[in-house]
This record gives sequence, C-alpha cells and structure tokens, in this order.
Amino acid sequence: MERRAVLKLVALAALSPKLNALSNDAMRDMESAQGAPAATAYTLQFFSEEESHLLDQLMEMIIPADDHSPGAHEAGTHLFADLMVATSDPAVKKQWQDGIRLIREEAAGSSLSEALHKAAANEENPTTDLERFFVLLKQMTVNGYYTSATGIHKEMEYIGNTYLVAFPECTHPEHQAPT
Amino acid sequence: MSKTENFDVCVIGSGAAGGVMAKELCEGGAKVVMLEAGRRVPLSELLSHKWPYELPFRGFRGEKQVPFYQGDVAKSIAYADSDNIAIDRVRALGGRTLHWNAVTLRYAPRDFKEWSLQGIEEDWPLTYEEIAPYYDRIEQIIGVCGNDDHLEILPAGQNYLPPISWRCSEHIMKRATSAMGIPLIAVRKAVLTRPYDQRPPCHYCGHCMDGCDVASIFSTPGCMLPKAQATGNFTLRQNALAREILVDREGLASAVSFIDTETRTEQQVNAAVVVVCCSTVESARLLLNSRSPKYPTGLANSNGRVGHHLNGHLNESVIIYLEELEGQKPSNQDGATDHVYVPRYNHLFGKTDYVGGWGFQVNYSSYMFPHQAARLQGYGVAFKERVRKMQPGYLSFGSWAKVTSDNRNYVTVDPARVDAHGIPTPVVHFRFSENDHALWRASSQSMMEVSSHMKGTVFSSFGKAPTGFASHEVGTVRMGKDPRTSVLNSYCQTRDVRNLFVTDGSCFTTSSEKNPTLTIMALSLRAADYIKEQRKKGEL
Repeated sequence: MERRAVLKLVALAALSPKLNALSNDAMRDMESAQGAPAATAYTLQFFSEEESHLLDQLMEMIIPADDHSPGAHEAGTHLFADLMVATSDPAVKKQWQDGIRLIREEAAGSSLSEALHKAAANEENPTTDLERFFVLLKQMTVNGYYTSATGIHKEMEYIGNTYLVAFPECTHPEHQAPT
Repeated sequence: MSKTENFDVCVIGSGAAGGVMAKELCEGGAKVVMLEAGRRVPLSELLSHKWPYELPFRGFRGEKQVPFYQGDVAKSIAYADSDNIAIDRVRALGGRTLHWNAVTLRYAPRDFKEWSLQGIEEDWPLTYEEIAPYYDRIEQIIGVCGNDDHLEILPAGQNYLPPISWRCSEHIMKRATSAMGIPLIAVRKAVLTRPYDQRPPCHYCGHCMDGCDVASIFSTPGCMLPKAQATGNFTLRQNALAREILVDREGLASAVSFIDTETRTEQQVNAAVVVVCCSTVESARLLLNSRSPKYPTGLANSNGRVGHHLNGHLNESVIIYLEELEGQKPSNQDGATDHVYVPRYNHLFGKTDYVGGWGFQVNYSSYMFPHQAARLQGYGVAFKERVRKMQPGYLSFGSWAKVTSDNRNYVTVDPARVDAHGIPTPVVHFRFSENDHALWRASSQSMMEVSSHMKGTVFSSFGKAPTGFASHEVGTVRMGKDPRTSVLNSYCQTRDVRNLFVTDGSCFTTSSEKNPTLTIMALSLRAADYIKEQRKKGEL
C-alpha cells in the first residue's frame, strides 16, 4: 500500500511539465521494487513476546499516532529493534536486557507512562542506567520509525528518491541575496 | 590470459588516476593491462534507489556500500600512534569514482607554492600554468558543470556544463554569506546537467554516494574504460590484487606479481612501464612490499621517503533548520547532493596565526532521514510534530580544510601482519599538527558565525579535536623539487626507476582545501602524455 501511494505521487508529479517525468524504465524499476516486509511475517529473534510487547508500547509513546499519521506501532518499530539488537554484540544485548528490566521495575510501582517520563527526565546528560536506557530506546525508535514506509511516506511525506528531468530552481524573491 | 603475457604498460588500480591513464595510453597505441583488486559492480547490484525499509538493517550497517568494500579491506589496515583518522580503500572496478559527490575543483596558483608564499612545507615541482591545460582537457573529458566565477582562489575553465539549480536553503545561505563578504558559488562537479558524451543527464535522486545507476556522474567504468576498450588495446584483470612489482637485472620494473583473489593463485604480467594508481595508502604499501636485493627497503625508496608525508583533509559539519522554511509543504529537495560551494575565504580577511584555509561543501547528505529527530529532546506528539515541521528548513554544510604535510606522518607495512592473501598490511602513523588544530578551531568558529547569520536551529558535529581525512588522503609518494625529500619528479616518474610512475593522490607535494580528485586526474593525464612522448623517443 505504501509503495502504491508513492507510485501514485510520482505518477501525479509526472504530469507536471516543469518538475518531474518518470521514464518507463524507472517506473518498471519502481514497480518491481521489493515492498517492505510485512510485520506479520517477522519472527522475534531476541526479545520475548512479552518484552517485544513492552517495547511496542514504549516506542508508540515516544512516536505516537496522531491526526497526521500513524506512530511507531504501525511502523513495526519494535520488530526493527528486535532485528538490530539480535544482530548486535553481547554488550549491546545486555544493555537492552538491563534497560527493559529497569523500566519494568520502575513501572511496577507506578505506570509505564510514568516510568518513561522518569527515564526521559535527563535526556541531555543522563546519569542513571534508566536515563541512559531512554537515550538508547529513543534512538532506536527514531531510527526505526523514520526509515519505515510509515515514517518516510505518511509522516514526513517525503516525495524524493525518484527521477526528475530537471531540478526545481528556487525562484522565491524573498530567499535571494540582494544583487 | 597467459601468465607470461607481455604488455607495453601495466596500470595498477582503476580509480580516478588509473582510468584516465589507461584511456590515454590505449588511445595512444599502447597495449595496456589494468589490474584491479576488486570486480566490476553490475548496475543491477547498486542499491541506490532502494528504500531503507527494503534493506535488512535500513541502511544503518552500510548495506548500500557493500558492493564497493568487498573482502577484508576494511580490516587489513592498522592505526598506530594516530589521531582520529580513517582511510577509505575501495575494492571495486572504478575505485572511489563509483561512489563520490564528484566535486571537482582546480587548485589555485598559490596552492602549488606553500613555501614561497606561506613559508611552510615546500613548493610543488610544477606550477598552475603547467597543469592548467590538463585541467582544461580533463574537464572536457569527464563533463563538469558550474561557472567561471572569476575567483583567484578557485581558477576555472571555459567549457562547463550548465550549473545545477539551487535549493531555497542555498539562496538563503548566499544571502547570509554575501552579507559577510564571503563568496558562495554554483558547485563545480562531474555531474552532467545535459546529455554529454553519450551519457544521460542527472535525474536528481540524491544518491551519488551510493553509485549512479545511469552514469550521469563521472566514474571510470562509465566514462574512461569504454573508451580504452574501444581501442582494442585494453586488457582488464579483475580480482587481481597486486602483491609486488618485480625488477630486472638493471633495476627497472619488469613485471607485476598479483593474486587472483578468486582462484587464490599467484600470477604475473610483464610490462615495459608500470603505473601505480592504487590510492594513497595502497600505493605506498605496494612499493614498500616490493623489496629485492637491489631495493632492500622497497621500490623507489632509496631516500626512505616512500610512505611519508601522509595528509589529507580535516572536516566538520553543521546542520541548520532555517526558520523561514520550517512548516512548509514538503517538496523534493534531493537533487545532486551539493549544488553550491563556498570557496576558501579566510585569506580575504587579513593575516591569521595559522596557514591554510577551508571551503564549505553544502547539502551533501540525503534529505530522506530527519536528522533533527536524533538531536531534539523530548518525545510524544509534540516531538513528532516538531520533527516534521523542521524538515523543510534542512540545510547542512561542512568544512574541508587543509592538513599540513609532515615527514613524521607516515604509512609503513608490517610483515608480521598480513591480509587474507599473505600480503603485509599497512600501518598508519598520524598526528595533527599545531597548525592543523588552529585551522580546525578557526574553521569551526567560522562555521558557527555563518550559521548565526541564518536564523534557525543549529546542530554541530564539533568534537574536542580534528578528525580526518574525509576520503581525501594524499601524500606518501610525493613529487618534489628535491631528490632527497621526494620520490617523484613532476611527471609522476620515480627517480629511482625510470619506467615506474605513481599518479594517484599519493603523488601530491602538499594539500589544499580543495577536493583532490580533479588534480589527481589532471596529473595522471599529464603523466600519460609524458609516457607517450618517452615511448616515442624510445626512452621507455
């Protein structure tokens, strides 16, 4: 569905004589491009089902669905995290195991949203393991979400990575340097 | 091919230097064999247009670069007593011309005269006037877009393709730099803006660094090798990792021994002339590994200078989100990476307590990923909305600054540490000088001053010390006036072995702030002319 939406955007753009034109070869390449792997086809490699569910909740809190677009849940960001951690070295794996344990312990006395709030309290200069885990968690969420089809096309409405016959020149008078 | 086949010339390496050398010599009638340690990368293997979600790790583990760095090349180098530097070594037909931004800048007359004009390093053994005709020719061969901006610090040719159109952010940057008295010009780069030499123009996808799928950006396989092939004089050996240059009884280069990395067998080609174009560190490595009773410290190394004077560029970067563009409707900003360039300007503002300068490359990274998301604090709906609204304001620029050439910075080989084929690997020793540190501080400060003239949110990459070499390493087999301190004459010919040439970045006497590739190609073209002349005279 994402790819079709992109193709539609590109095809629409091709109608503009000024901006874009997509060659037949390019269109064939785009149509034959492999789509994003379906989330349902992914088998967890590192986290347990319960841990993955927890991550899914946390990541959706970091980048939630809103009026504009879906959030980290629909983007399957927790599954991206599983793949990345599963293929990392043991020290990284331990960071994630410890981090999930810490946030789970913190949430036990309050709620998951309060635990996340506490973890994020000192993002610029984290001093505790919980705070350091938030930095790790957020980075993974950002990396996973903004490289997903959801993040690229729906949230950011990115319309590049295509074939143009000319690059659109900025002609806005307010942007030009005085001559 | 027979293991004893004879050629007029063996060119080792297929990057910017090797490509032009092979083309010119083949067109001049020489039978040329090119040895390339990697293989041809079919266009079908390029992942340029792949979306991140079509890649296993979304591109975070360099998936798009895999075709260029095959084998153990990344592991087979060591850094001893070194500051924070990294050296790229591509193993693929075309070398670094396969994935580059293609910024092609001429050195200025003053860049060849650091000793005469600044009292540092030494002068090159040739002048701008001597290399200018070769800049003209190479620009015509490869196709360069841009303008003659009439700048002494950045000389121009007269036959450029039309410049690339500018983005909104680049006009805004020019507005700021103009107010500061700093020039900002259309970039000069080897990207086609109209059909040229049977190649199509750029389609502005922004993936130059991932490999161009239609050869609009210059590459050796896309531009030079088809011309060499067309002569009938060209033989290519892929997967041929040079081990050693062999010499005859007179001490002349006679053959190149190489490993066929597919069959893991050692083979040999004989040649009347050998031209080394393996890249800065690899060329020094090959000469140092070419030891014989006549040359016990390596080939062309009678003065002990092979490997020395390693330098390159130091660089930093800044990202700004311009307020006046924030919140605008998303538009396609990919383009051809850099569209504008800020030439060196610090010399326009009086004397400094350091020597050298820097230029700015602008918008050389992709627009797809919102880098601000990794830098903004917070989370939730407000965070998400902020990231989205900032994105149209994205502007990035980086400083590329001169690193001084110093005999104490060098590469050597460690016989005890060999690569997968048993060849001793390079060991790099490098420290930035006081001048480098001062230049780095000044360039970083100036970047912030330029940024402050553009209203927006600024993120910088500045660390506590400079880093290098931005894939622009040079030196190690230098040309020079003084035979005691240099390896080559001005034609890239080794002084010790008259039929041995080195024409890649390792031949640079000194560095400037300009990207080195155009000068590498111009010097290689000049050396090719010299070889042709010498062959006609029977000297080679």
